[in-house]
Amino acid sequence: MSLRRSGLQKDVLSLYRRALRMVRTKPTITQPKFLLFVRYSFRTQASSVAPRDVAAIEHLLRRGQRQLEMYEDKAVKDCQVSQAMRVWEEEQQAARTTP
Amino acid sequence: MQSIIAKSLARQGVRPAARSFTTSAARWQAVPTEKPVLNKEFKIYRWNPDEPAKKPTLQSYTIDLNQTGPMILDALIKIKNEIDPTLTFRRSCREGICGSCAMNIDGQNTLACLCRIDRNPGKDSKVYPLPHMYIVKDLVPDLTLFYKQYKSIKPYLQNDNPPEQGEYLQSQDDRKKLDGLYECILCACCSTSCPSYWWNQDEYLGPATLMQAYRWIADSRDSYGEQRREQLQNEMSMYRCHTIFNCSRTCPKGLNPAAAIAKIKLELAAE
Repeated sequence: MSLRRSGLQKDVLSLYRRALRMVRTKPTITQPKFLLFVRYSFRTQASSVAPRDVAAIEHLLRRGQRQLEMYEDKAVKDCQVSQAMRVWEEEQQAARTTP
Repeated sequence: MQSIIAKSLARQGVRPAARSFTTSAARWQAVPTEKPVLNKEFKIYRWNPDEPAKKPTLQSYTIDLNQTGPMILDALIKIKNEIDPTLTFRRSCREGICGSCAMNIDGQNTLACLCRIDRNPGKDSKVYPLPHMYIVKDLVPDLTLFYKQYKSIKPYLQNDNPPEQGEYLQSQDDRKKLDGLYECILCACCSTSCPSYWWNQDEYLGPATLMQAYRWIADSRDSYGEQRREQLQNEMSMYRCHTIFNCSRTCPKGLNPAAAIAKIKLELAAE
């Protein structure tokens, strides 16, 4: 993979960075939940579209930005972690430990 | 014997004297007045956000106009109720006062509840969402930016010197200045029909918002006219209006946003 990134790739990455920064503004106890939520939503949605489907990626980007704006609100202090997210997290860890 | 017959007739609810009359009435009622079937095709824009990889399509539905109300919104509701419950659109008051059902019908931005169905069965009707807006689903556009712009002009009364007691008073002439401005229902038909707004949505406010800006500038009870005009005094906010007049042509309420913008321009030029 070349290091030169397209504008769209930069937008996607900056959205992810912004989401990860949002996690750090939350109370320490709930930060792992937010982190899992952000990583799960980002990874599953990013892998759901083809890399050249620009219209679909732009749509997901806009949706992500709207959702993130809501989560950045100071009043949001906790988030719900679903069973699917926990399963996904375990799969990720298993994949990392047994290469 | 006669009494038995009379009793049985009475039980059936038929009086001998009026017999011919009742049966003829019953026969007349028995024939329902059936209208002929008048099928018309509607082609409706479909796009589902749950499958973002799929391209938007036009889906066609055929319904009988004689079993439908007269307006496009009636047809849409009939399609949603009877043919395809997944069809998505906004609607609320069905009488042109809420502005929810703004969409592009046969190439014209209008309210579906105020737009009559063209009863020519040979021609199909095409229904699209408002042009050049991000789509939430099917016929539902994302109006977040539009509402943010409306908020940015501070659409409320600003006055530092409230009257000693009672309410703000206004002469009848001053009140007349607001006619043709306050009726706007913010359906976004005009803004989304404006080519300038299509290309510069992020900075140009658009006709609907500018008309509301003028509504507050023109209000004699508001004392912040200076600041309101100052806010519009730049290249983009208002001067992107090139008097195209699409806004006035399309307005489903028959208002004239272009005239309001022209009056703001006049006030700014006169300063």
